[in-house]
Amino acid sequence: MGLRNRFTKESDHARQTVFGVRKETVEGVAWSLPYLAVFSVFLVWPALKGMYMSLFDWDPFVPSQSEFIGVQNYVQLLHDPVFWNAMQGTVYFVALSVPLLVLVGLGLALGVNKNVKGKRILRAIYFSPYILTVAVVTLIWSEVYSEGYGLINYYLGYVMDSPPGWLTSTDLAMPALAFMTVWWLVGFNFVIFLAARQGIPERLYEAARLDGASTWRAFKDVTLPQMRNSILFVVIIQFILQFQVFAQPYVLTGGGPRDSTDTLVYYLYRSAFSQQQYGYGAAIGYVLVMILVLIAVINFKVIGTND
Amino acid sequence: MTDAEHERSGLLDDVSLRSLGTHAVLYGTAILMAVPYLYTISRSFQPRRFLTSPKPFWIPPEITFEYYRHILTQSLFVQWTINTFIIAGGATLIILVIDSMIAFSLTRLDWPGQSVVMGVILASFMVPYYMNIVPLYTVVSDLGLVNSYWGVILPAVASPLGVFLLYQFFRDIPDEYEEAARLDGFSTFQIYSRIVLPLARPILASLALFMFVYNWNAFLWPLIVLSDQAAYTLPIGLVNLYQGNITTPGLHMAVTVLASLPLFIVYLFFQGEIVRAVQIQGTGTTG
Repeated sequence: MGLRNRFTKESDHARQTVFGVRKETVEGVAWSLPYLAVFSVFLVWPALKGMYMSLFDWDPFVPSQSEFIGVQNYVQLLHDPVFWNAMQGTVYFVALSVPLLVLVGLGLALGVNKNVKGKRILRAIYFSPYILTVAVVTLIWSEVYSEGYGLINYYLGYVMDSPPGWLTSTDLAMPALAFMTVWWLVGFNFVIFLAARQGIPERLYEAARLDGASTWRAFKDVTLPQMRNSILFVVIIQFILQFQVFAQPYVLTGGGPRDSTDTLVYYLYRSAFSQQQYGYGAAIGYVLVMILVLIAVINFKVIGTND
Repeated sequence: MTDAEHERSGLLDDVSLRSLGTHAVLYGTAILMAVPYLYTISRSFQPRRFLTSPKPFWIPPEITFEYYRHILTQSLFVQWTINTFIIAGGATLIILVIDSMIAFSLTRLDWPGQSVVMGVILASFMVPYYMNIVPLYTVVSDLGLVNSYWGVILPAVASPLGVFLLYQFFRDIPDEYEEAARLDGFSTFQIYSRIVLPLARPILASLALFMFVYNWNAFLWPLIVLSDQAAYTLPIGLVNLYQGNITTPGLHMAVTVLASLPLFIVYLFFQGEIVRAVQIQGTGTTG
């Protein structure tokens, strides 16, 4: 059978029609429809509706009686001290957790990539907390951090007189939540960096060695540029995820002590689902989106160029 | 010893010293990371008087199963496990079917507008999930799905991640397979079920396990949409139990162990698949 025969058959399929429409078009749409239906109703439509809701003093019980107030929700946000405190808390949490998540993940990946024994067991342990639900993570760490009988403070008791209350001090509560989050999620970054590092052809390092490059230069000139896309992905995804931190303060601190661990999504949750201010909650959601898009653009500019 | 030999052995010492350092750091980190697990498991078996003593016990001086018995008989734990299983399993199954269908349509069929559709799906990655919760809640509530399995499953199914992963994989399947099949008179459905799906089995397995774990662990959305205790998933039930009796550490530890057990078993057997699903996301390769 020659090429020509196959070609004719191909066009046979393409030429068939259903009610005057190309059969392949009908099939293409039909095969896409189940996902597109769910996608439209539960993702696209809410995203658009959120924009609309944020312009109303939304009545959760009789939506048709909601009052249009334009950008009032956004104006109110700008003058809302709780919002700014939550913003500050979120930025602080992100500033603590994201660099650690990226650097520790990268360090572990480069370490495991070396000639070490027991790679498999190391990988299994580093990644394992990632499969836990955040509810389990917070319950475990509530014990570890406990002031009276916690693990950390017991051992700190040997070197200092009165170890601090990790979750009850305004200075330490947020770092404690961030540290716990690094334990929980660093494995995600670690396995991505490991795959990216293993994907770099060994000959690039041989070439660098022949040129007399030091370990540091090989890292800077080969490893980093070769891993740029993965680093960009991890940094952006971690910004997006950590900016939406919610469960850690919700379960462990309730935003306290003295509002030191309040975050944007936690405030969004309270506004909408405790105080029934749906329009206000939707507006907080949109502010979050704008911040995250901005962060993504900055990341692309800083890490994604130089090619 | 000649100079050259001397230099060489010095170099070796340096290398092995550095390798020793690397091992120490890597294994030290692994031990530190495992400490919270061991501590939790150990405490879940210790009678109360040991738990509240300021000195922690690594090896339980006495073993009790009281917490486990309490959870399995006095709480809705079993119901929550069933709920979680249905939600995570149901969402995963539906995702596999409809995501593979649209990915097939977008890569193996040719129809006008398909690139626009893919563009919209890709753009939706920029919508942070949580910012959608307020309008999503009104939609789910209007549809009468609050407190139901579907109210959790359908929003989970809307995630574009699976479409994105399968799209990349299906696109790279050589055209020759398909052309040969058409030649043999295969229908579109047969090409999907007998050629594309079998080729995609590894990535489907990875996607399935990742989605199962992800939806098993989901927290914020189930918390919002499930308000009835009997409808809770495990993560919500756990936190509810914790906030309800904050002074019973043994109970928290036991429920933590029980709730994590199913996923740890999954992890034990399918670690490679789950890790691969993450690696594909981060490196864009299916290798």
